[in-house]
Amino acid sequence: MTQQLSVPTLQPFLRILSDEQIQAIHIATLEILEKIGVEFDDPHGKSLLLDAGAWESGDRVKIPEKLVNDAIQNAPSRIPMYTRLGELTMPLELGKVFFGSGSDVTFVRDVYTGERRRAIAQDVVDFARLADALDNIDFVMSMSNPVDVPPDDLYLYEFIGIVRGSIKPNVYTVKNRRDLEDIHRIGVAIAGSEQALREKPFFLLYPEPISPLLMPSEVIQKILFCAEKGIPTAFVPSANPGGGGPITLAGALALGNAECLVGLILTQLVRPGTPFLYGFNTASLDMKTTIVSYGSPEWSMGMAACNDLARHYNLPVWGFGGATDSKVVDAQAGAEYTFSLLTALLSRTTLVHDVGYIEYGAGAAMEALVIADEIISMARVFARGIEVNPTTLALDAIARVKPGAGFLADDHTLEHWREAQWKPNIVDRSRYQQWDEKGRQDMNARANARARDILADHQTPPLSAEAEAAIADVLGQRAAVRQ
Amino acid sequence: MSLIEEIRQAVIVGDAPDAKAKVEQALNDNLTADTVLREGLIDAMREVGQLFEEGDFFVPEMLIAARAMKGALDLLKPHLVEEGVEPLGKVAIGTVKGDLHDIGKSLVAMMMEGAGFELVDLGVDVSPDKFISVIQDGADIVAMSALLTTTMPNMKLIIEEIEAAGLREQVVVMVGGAPVTQAFADQIGADGYAADASSAARKAQELIGR
Repeated sequence: MTQQLSVPTLQPFLRILSDEQIQAIHIATLEILEKIGVEFDDPHGKSLLLDAGAWESGDRVKIPEKLVNDAIQNAPSRIPMYTRLGELTMPLELGKVFFGSGSDVTFVRDVYTGERRRAIAQDVVDFARLADALDNIDFVMSMSNPVDVPPDDLYLYEFIGIVRGSIKPNVYTVKNRRDLEDIHRIGVAIAGSEQALREKPFFLLYPEPISPLLMPSEVIQKILFCAEKGIPTAFVPSANPGGGGPITLAGALALGNAECLVGLILTQLVRPGTPFLYGFNTASLDMKTTIVSYGSPEWSMGMAACNDLARHYNLPVWGFGGATDSKVVDAQAGAEYTFSLLTALLSRTTLVHDVGYIEYGAGAAMEALVIADEIISMARVFARGIEVNPTTLALDAIARVKPGAGFLADDHTLEHWREAQWKPNIVDRSRYQQWDEKGRQDMNARANARARDILADHQTPPLSAEAEAAIADVLGQRAAVRQ
Repeated sequence: MSLIEEIRQAVIVGDAPDAKAKVEQALNDNLTADTVLREGLIDAMREVGQLFEEGDFFVPEMLIAARAMKGALDLLKPHLVEEGVEPLGKVAIGTVKGDLHDIGKSLVAMMMEGAGFELVDLGVDVSPDKFISVIQDGADIVAMSALLTTTMPNMKLIIEEIEAAGLREQVVVMVGGAPVTQAFADQIGADGYAADASSAARKAQELIGR
């Protein structure tokens, strides 16, 4: 037979909004920006908007459609992200999916004692080292909001902990412009020069305006700084249904979209082409407990919808996965991780953060990150779809087999078993007796053992002497100011 | 690396042509077939079984090694006869009456063969009479498999018939299959039970004392 067209896999893909729904949400978004407006107190940001054609009306700034369209036109469709050693590992572009940890939790479950305690600076380094070692984790966030460092320097310590613990691209948080400037200085020292950092960025900022409709000056200054320096940023409103957003998801989507686009517009006004990661959160505010639910199906649905909007705008997209409201790493955690991680992958969320969260985002556990890493690896196999071709159809083997005798020892099995099956790492498939003899460990116990092994063995390449000198210098200056 | 060690390695990695070539070379070098069998082939499969049981080897890797072992063994057989080396033992294996599930039983057969046993595969749905007659023909071990709880009682029945035929003392009875447990094996008076193919081969060696 001549060479025939191959039958590629379907590559299963999740879409949750119709074209008409996308259009309706987009139009509601324009209505929010133009007729309702946002509250805006940053003078620099405000003048940028007003000069470009927005207008003031009472205490609101109202933004016309033209600014939205221009910003979407000007924004890049991709954000190539590098390791701190300069290797491209995270090209943020539609269709690709990257996973990473989350930022700033208050409590961690100690991997050695199981105790729930306040997060400390060493936790940032340890979580970063764990993330550095896990194959399915692409980027690193602080995970911990340390209690044992000067409060004003907290975000600086987070960034330092991340880059000491991992070479992977990172997503960081800051309090203010001063933090950003200091972190930028350290980043320049790590990259070698400001030019090198701009060309091969290895960190992306995660700032959040306050939903609904409030654009605090401190937050706006953060994204303006990034735009000036050409370093990538997100701008992630939390239009959480029932809290920062309307209780109904459609309204939360329109509001979150509108707020996020304000950030996009500002960055593109400062410098067209500023790398901007689009996206917003829609985690339900629980009506019984008032927690913002990290396991809510609404958040996963909202994320899938956010992806549909992102494709409409041709922008890479921010999202979440692998987080739970459970206080421990248990069956609820496993269920909620799987639900959100599979949704993230099937909807092609470009950057998926919060992997390894417990306790509605107030806590983190190393076991959680290890388990989520395994779920991601399963989900990736699923999302690849089924390859259909003469080799995989295996007609020769089917013709060869003795009825009832099975394919276990067939040549076709022996040739293809490696690539044809997903293989577990900490998922246990042993027979009962073996499991019993090996100490009857559950998934949490196996994940704990793996996390400890990684912490004991994993070596992250150290920072250069220049980078460490820049860190010492920045910390020294801050200490001097405090005295 | 000694030639014996090279044979071991060829079997462990499942390189059948290499294993054969090395065995031929060993015979040309005047190593005894018995040495090649015990220190090369059987020891290699012991290690393969151990790697599998420790989770380092997957079933296909074990099967590929077993194939390499079998190819080399075929080459060795006439020389073993010449040297008067007794085979490790003869195993008759089959699924019990009413059970048509072949896959697990065949895997055990392959591993036993890899361990150096002579195999008589009775197939599936094997009647008690067939087990009896294969013992009369000199089988040292009878290995029975059942996948269904509904066919498990037939294992007990077969042991009773072996006793009735006065053959129980001369044969080792092994049982296995998904629902079978050590407790069940003890209860019906079997001599051995194993949870998987690799440990079945090891168990057979233990039971036969060689």
